[in-house]
Amino acid sequence: MEILVCLKQVPDDSVEIRLKPGTEEVNLDGVANVVNAFDTYALEMAARLKEAVGGSVTAVTVGPEGAKDAVKTCLAVGANQGYLISDPAFEGADTLGRSKILAAAIKRLETEAGKPFDLIFCGREATDRATGQLGPQLAETLGVGVITDLVDIEQTAGGICAKQETEEGYRRVEAATPCVVTVNKPAYDPRYPTIKNKMAARKMPIPVLSAAELGQVDPGQPGVHVVKVYEPAKRQAGVKIKEETCADSAIKAVGMMAEAKLL
Amino acid sequence: MSQYEKVTPELIEALKAAVPGRVSVDGDINEDFSHDEMPIYGKAMPEVVVEAVTTEEVAAVMKLCNEHRVPVTPRGAGTGLAGGAVAIHGGVVLSTTKMNKILGYDTENMVVRVQAGVLLNDLAEDAAKQGLLYPPDPGEKFATLGGNVSTNAGGMRAVKYGATRDYVRAMTVVLPTGEIVHLGASVSKTSSGYSLLNLMIGSEGTLGIITELTLKLIPAPKEVISLVVLYENLEDCIATVPKLMRANLHPQALEFMEREIVRLSESYLGKSTFPQTFEGTDINAYLLITFDGDNEDQLNEIIEQASEVVLEAGALDVLVADTPQLKKDAWAARSTFLEAIEANTKLLDESDVVVPVNEIANYVKFINTIAAEYDFEVKSFGHAGDGNLHIYNCSNDMEVKEFERQVADFMKRAYAKATELGGLISGEHGIGHGKLEYLAQMVGPVNMRLMEGVKQVFDPNLILNPGKVCYKL
Repeated sequence: MEILVCLKQVPDDSVEIRLKPGTEEVNLDGVANVVNAFDTYALEMAARLKEAVGGSVTAVTVGPEGAKDAVKTCLAVGANQGYLISDPAFEGADTLGRSKILAAAIKRLETEAGKPFDLIFCGREATDRATGQLGPQLAETLGVGVITDLVDIEQTAGGICAKQETEEGYRRVEAATPCVVTVNKPAYDPRYPTIKNKMAARKMPIPVLSAAELGQVDPGQPGVHVVKVYEPAKRQAGVKIKEETCADSAIKAVGMMAEAKLL
Repeated sequence: MSQYEKVTPELIEALKAAVPGRVSVDGDINEDFSHDEMPIYGKAMPEVVVEAVTTEEVAAVMKLCNEHRVPVTPRGAGTGLAGGAVAIHGGVVLSTTKMNKILGYDTENMVVRVQAGVLLNDLAEDAAKQGLLYPPDPGEKFATLGGNVSTNAGGMRAVKYGATRDYVRAMTVVLPTGEIVHLGASVSKTSSGYSLLNLMIGSEGTLGIITELTLKLIPAPKEVISLVVLYENLEDCIATVPKLMRANLHPQALEFMEREIVRLSESYLGKSTFPQTFEGTDINAYLLITFDGDNEDQLNEIIEQASEVVLEAGALDVLVADTPQLKKDAWAARSTFLEAIEANTKLLDESDVVVPVNEIANYVKFINTIAAEYDFEVKSFGHAGDGNLHIYNCSNDMEVKEFERQVADFMKRAYAKATELGGLISGEHGIGHGKLEYLAQMVGPVNMRLMEGVKQVFDPNLILNPGKVCYKL
């Protein structure tokens, strides 16, 4: 099975990120860049599928030169090859623009390899902007189906069977390939790279694809305009109710709600 | 006990006048004040808890209690493991947790001034925001810095950076008499008389109450990377340590972990982090190693060399935690050992012996051999890089008396062996009152007499933290 994993380099979301005081500029000083967590889940799921059924995994990202590090990280944990799509013309592209860039890159890589991708994996959303739009937009641009929020996947005779997480529980969805899938947090964690794979990944070349090499793709003008950037309002600290018994606590809670005219 | 007076209503009034609004008595005292994290050494409720916010308040309390011959037990966050902050003779507990202000950085001299009740975690986070590192890194991140200094806490990074002692430049101390003294200075060397500063460090609140500290910081390393090394057996795992230390690679942290405790911790966290098998072979031991450096290329070379050393020495494979998430997961599993043990154990005792690095394998082998003779389980882990082992005795079904009897026998043998191998009975947890007799056995009567003499000079009425470290009443 030929698999492509789309990934995005984002600021490390495990640290607290604030705006620069008095501005609408996000303060990313000293914040490391990492691979979007959902993309790491997508890569792990893709790698497991490849190991189960054979094939290869290709990792691609759209970004500046520094995003090569993100691709390199993936080469140590299951990706067989990786590409950076980078061009000054792509700066500022929104998800729709990126989906067009990725679609053009996919066509280019398929032509080069002489075979199509069976599956295209994306994370369900990126942890920086969390729009969750890239996967569906990419599927639409490519003219293939999309299944969102996967937590498991297996190959079937005609394509794939996916376990999709919904608000109510899980749904089994079958689809023909090629198709796009977006991945939520599965029951397992991304693997650690072994030292051997990490050192091998360091030495692997990461080709850069520019706009010219993608056949003059035009990401178009951003369809999304940022009106305002602001920090979420600070919520007031809650009240801790800690009575002798659960019943007493419940009575006190109900009393407080009644007093606040919430009941 | 008889040499002390009980707390009187008059004393309570005087304390309330000295520390308005922060004096609790009898029924108002939270049960937490009766023990630390090792309640097996006995619980004791203080008669009064005073939460001071300034050095002057501490001085006023000490003066009053010294005059009234009422014992005072200083207490930080109560996370100790030897009973040091428990008021075994009653009296007043003086809590420093409200003295929690970071007073300021001097980035030219690379020091920070803090009140003693600042939590280690709070200083670590605050220093990191300024690109600085406070290297001591004990497992318990919510201990106070005053408590850390009082036990000379060590922690994971001690193998490269040393223990708390190496980062204390100066301190303000209230003596048992109520006098306020300043020890040390913001300088990097001293040859200025007896080092009272160093005497205070590790004295477990028996000589004075630390109220302010000037601590040394270093520039935070730019890059940090951890390795998880997989072994089929513990012997191979521990035997690697001296080889790794000889390779001159300067690991920041070097921890060994046995399979059972890793599984316990993962189950406690609800997250499986470390692999259990490697190409069909069961993994029974792990080394968790961290390196730091100024750039990625330099670090990559170091981890490659380190991997060669461990693979040559019999490791099955080496995993690299090179992203913030992987590092966080790997160290979360290690940092949760004690919590995981506490959550799964009714009766618990522990020891934290330190032996020369080349004797760790012999010592662990000895412990695992004698462990089979007792009814409790023995779980051990530790700072392999500096020979400091944490050995836990755990039981869920033994009678308390029988547990204590068997543990006492185990400890006696464990400490004797540590001494025989050239080690000491505590690397970083301290003596408190839980380990006092073992200390006396280990260091002998002359050393104990010297310690008691020092105590007398600082505390003529023996009112500060009585019954701890070097003398019983």
